[in-house]
Amino acid sequence: MVRSPRTRAWRTASLLLATVALAGIVGARPWWLRGVPANGQDFLPPDAAFRVSAQLDGKRVTVRWDIAHGYYLYRNKIHVAAESPDLIVEPLTLPPGALLTDRYFGPQEVYYRRVEGHAAYTRLDFGAHPMQIKLTYQGCAEAGLCYPPIVKVIYPTEMPAAASPVAAPGTQAEWFLILAALAGFLAAGLALRRGRALPSPGL
Amino acid sequence: MNRGLLAVIAVVAAAGWYGAHQLVSQGNPRGASGIRVAVGETSPPSAADAIPTPVPGALPAPRIPERIPPFTLPDLSGRPTAISAYDGRSLIINFWATWCAPCRREIPLLKTVDAAWKDRRFQVLGIAVDRRAQVASFAQKLRISYPLLAGQQDALDVAAAFGVATPAFPFTVFTDAHRRIVALYLGELHRPQINLILGVVQRVNDGHLGLPQARHAIDAGLAQLQAESAAG
Repeated sequence: MVRSPRTRAWRTASLLLATVALAGIVGARPWWLRGVPANGQDFLPPDAAFRVSAQLDGKRVTVRWDIAHGYYLYRNKIHVAAESPDLIVEPLTLPPGALLTDRYFGPQEVYYRRVEGHAAYTRLDFGAHPMQIKLTYQGCAEAGLCYPPIVKVIYPTEMPAAASPVAAPGTQAEWFLILAALAGFLAAGLALRRGRALPSPGL
Repeated sequence: MNRGLLAVIAVVAAAGWYGAHQLVSQGNPRGASGIRVAVGETSPPSAADAIPTPVPGALPAPRIPERIPPFTLPDLSGRPTAISAYDGRSLIINFWATWCAPCRREIPLLKTVDAAWKDRRFQVLGIAVDRRAQVASFAQKLRISYPLLAGQQDALDVAAAFGVATPAFPFTVFTDAHRRIVALYLGELHRPQINLILGVVQRVNDGHLGLPQARHAIDAGLAQLQAESAAG
């Protein structure tokens, strides 16, 4: 089979890309161990151990942590606060956690794998600022490593459109306003016209 | 006023009220829709921003120095102490914090090691990344016998000077008698691991092992311990 030079170039480029990607995966070691004689534990950077995301769901914000295998978050170290102006965020409601008993710190509620919390919010800025919340959380690796409290400011996403079959409330409201304006225009016309005969075109 | 006009005005009022109420209660301008999470960013993300997927090992690699970097931190009485005060000894520099459970668990082991290896010119030195008063009360409660230095941002700066720029605790640095870093152990130390490392550092101090061989021996020894532990 004869291949054009262009096809060959694409194949070569794809092979190169695949090689580079594989080399990256194979050579991936925790950054703090690279080039250093140290223990072979593959601890994750905190952002990989605890992946956080937030979504707006009506009048509440849902915050979700995806926790890597072998890691956990302390329930009493999770907090949410308003960051953008004129935003009020209520305390986060969290489900009960698993009980972890530490020899020195006693029983502690922790989360493994995944946890979702909900907090009601009120915006007083009428959408003038992008909404930002500040999250604080702290966790450890079961192998014996703890990360200092992590503080992150994030922008919650809107709920995906597929999740809500009806139109977004903002869009619905705009339609009602347009309808109101049209009806108002009609009403004003009727009021002005009342009792008067329409002038003839005068042809 | 005729009934038709009244009906139209009522519809106008109801629709207007509902629309305005929805806009105010949602605070949802068109520009805000479609915003994606951008964890840790300080500026509004564009619509194309996706939820970042962190990749282990993708962070910039720090450079861990060959020798102990020079630094000074206050001890528990607030007196500045330079690390050079410990010159001539092999150091076991343990970075920890009072809120960290594994840090607390390894303290009894470090006390034992300090007592057992002192006459071989080994010294355990704790660096607490915490408020000094809190560390002092904690040390008293746990009867920590080895010297402690404490600091907050200044202690974090020292951790960064050792190459651990994004801190996680505990971590322990082992040096030979010439201030050369032989190993950095991240996570909770247990007796087999610390005995292995100290034995190798002792052989370096005695002139039986060069630094590269020592590091290789520690790597291999720790891997073997890990395999044994995994095998149960």
